[in-house]
Amino acid sequence: MRTERGRERAGWYLVPAGALLCVVVLFPMVYVGWLSLERWSLLEGPARWIGLDNYLRVASDGRFWNALGNTVYFTVVSVLAELALGLAIALLLHRQGRGRALLYGVVLLPWAVPTAVSARMWEWMYNTEIGVINYLIGVEVNWLGSPGWAMHAAIAMDVWKSTPFVALLLIAGLQGIPGDLYRAAAVDGARGAMVLRTITLPLLAPVMLVAVVFRAIDAFRVFDTIYVLTGGGPADSTETLSIYVYRTLFHSLEFGYGSALAVVTLGCAALLTMAYVRLLTWRTQ
Amino acid sequence: MVVADESTPRPEAVLTRDARARRRLLLGAVAAPLAACSPSGRPVGAPVTLVFKHAKLFGDPAPLRTLLDAFERSNPGIRVRDETLPASSDAQHQFYAINLQARSPAFDVFAADVIWVAGFAQAGWLRDLSELLPDHERAALFAGPMRAVTHRQRPYAFPWYVDAGLLYFRSDLLARHGHAPPRTWSGLVRAAQAVCAREPGLRGFVWQGRQYEGLVCNALEYLWSNGGQVFDDGRVVLDSEANRTALSFMVDLVHRYRVSPGSVTTATEEPSRHLFGQGRALFMRNWPYAWTTFADPASRVHGAVGISVLPHFPGGRSTAALGGWQLAVNAYSRAPDAAMRLVAWLGSVPAQKSLALAYGFQPSRVALYDDADLLAAQPALATLREVFATARPRPVMPRYVRVSQVLQTEFSAALSRVRPVALALASAQRGIERVVADAH
Repeated sequence: MRTERGRERAGWYLVPAGALLCVVVLFPMVYVGWLSLERWSLLEGPARWIGLDNYLRVASDGRFWNALGNTVYFTVVSVLAELALGLAIALLLHRQGRGRALLYGVVLLPWAVPTAVSARMWEWMYNTEIGVINYLIGVEVNWLGSPGWAMHAAIAMDVWKSTPFVALLLIAGLQGIPGDLYRAAAVDGARGAMVLRTITLPLLAPVMLVAVVFRAIDAFRVFDTIYVLTGGGPADSTETLSIYVYRTLFHSLEFGYGSALAVVTLGCAALLTMAYVRLLTWRTQ
Repeated sequence: MVVADESTPRPEAVLTRDARARRRLLLGAVAAPLAACSPSGRPVGAPVTLVFKHAKLFGDPAPLRTLLDAFERSNPGIRVRDETLPASSDAQHQFYAINLQARSPAFDVFAADVIWVAGFAQAGWLRDLSELLPDHERAALFAGPMRAVTHRQRPYAFPWYVDAGLLYFRSDLLARHGHAPPRTWSGLVRAAQAVCAREPGLRGFVWQGRQYEGLVCNALEYLWSNGGQVFDDGRVVLDSEANRTALSFMVDLVHRYRVSPGSVTTATEEPSRHLFGQGRALFMRNWPYAWTTFADPASRVHGAVGISVLPHFPGGRSTAALGGWQLAVNAYSRAPDAAMRLVAWLGSVPAQKSLALAYGFQPSRVALYDDADLLAAQPALATLREVFATARPRPVMPRYVRVSQVLQTEFSAALSRVRPVALALASAQRGIERVVADAH
């Protein structure tokens, strides 16, 4: 009886937060879904219901497929690189004795700088004429201006920025592995690579998966890095879904079609998340 | 810092404090008689407060305020509040589109980029300004901006100040090696190759090739100066022999003649200006704002820079891409009559003159280019007049932004050699035809 009343009351406590979420999350999402079924350009008269036509247009829009390909490439390459580097840094820092706090701070620095600021910084570093990167390696590579390099230049910046986040998560994970296991392994005569393969990596796997989920979802919506570095060029070679959606909505002012693109992007991100969650629950079972 | 996606860079009046103070004095001298001789001395009924929205000014806001104060004095009952927006043209476009779409009366008069007017007019967001622009007024303004503000034969904005692409050159280096400022594109290549061969480390010709609105301006200048066009009488005529030749030349500047460094494919206005300003380039294509910075005695190229109209192809005519800002009246303004008065005031001869003196704005009124005070303060205006007379607006149409997206992609593809020029133009032709037909 008491608990039932308590539960009822608890339900009421949720109303303000729930209402807020409805207003700022649910309503805009449903509204965008609705807009995606309309033909509506801000500059061209009233909105008109056109059913799924916008989605058919997405399917045949080469620029969309290019952006999707770029986004997937950016996500896969940057997340894999961040995982590998983050793991290496975590293993190194985990062993480090003195000065660890200082090292943590230094490693975290890139993560603390706002993305737009670091992107502007990297834009200067990549500059062909006066950039420090060309100066240091003594070459004259057009990093942001050649279609072969531009995407990788953007990925490099993302790796620089986000590896600390992955490293930090993995350090926390390493600290959660009981020391007994390592001592027992030492007694059994296991060394370096074997310990890493049979103890550290399997026990770290759930944390690694969490890191990958967070990073992948983040990388999939990449916007500011690209917007500042290249604006999507050259020749759309760095245009990601977020950039394309932004251009369609806020430059071309095509609210109907832009909404359809946004819904498709959201759908892709949702699929990605669902796949990870499945994987995560499957692992813990 | 000029934001990358900016459609038209504003002239940044980079004034020294001294110059500013001097200009304010001049401004006072201009504003006082202006107030005295204003024809509109009668109040407009109930007191109204107009909101004038414009981009953040580079430099002291006081001169503009002085001008608005003078307007208030000669129009009792009208007050003007000026509000600024971020300098990025894209950010402003977004702000106006979203507010006007919601029929917001929160501002009455605003400064519109040259490429917005047709779209905003089509959407019904701008008041028809025909009564402010009778035939004799139109004739007093540059033809390019007049075309850009005209939608269905009616003017929807008042050209305020003009911007257009021009050629900067190092007069000292050209003289030292016995070259005259080039009149044709091939002359530019010859001069650049000859001078750079003897000046190690010098770049030949820098311009703006990043995938953004500025690339469209740069590329169209080549197309137009070869007699090419994007539209002819409503038909898309991009995929033409003249355009292929012109765009190929632009690509060859980087990859064949090697007078333009690879870095032009990432450059916006500011990186080109820096390179040229450091004395590391012989030629530069840029907007007039750069001139102010080279005129500064502290500049490394002070006194060694000349300007001219852009070169052209044999048989073609020098043509600059037109930028600049126009005064528009919000169709949802609650005080349209007062707003129109403010536009007339800000666009008048004395107001344009004082703004030109204070901020280096290039007036839209041709007569001001003969004004002795202005010419004394800015001798460059004599050349700029010639540039603006040849300046041509980018296609004037409501869907211009969508057309531009296609052009940006394809010009960038040609420039970075993702596609050969012929394919890029053919693909742009198809893309623009789809935008025009709105068939996907």
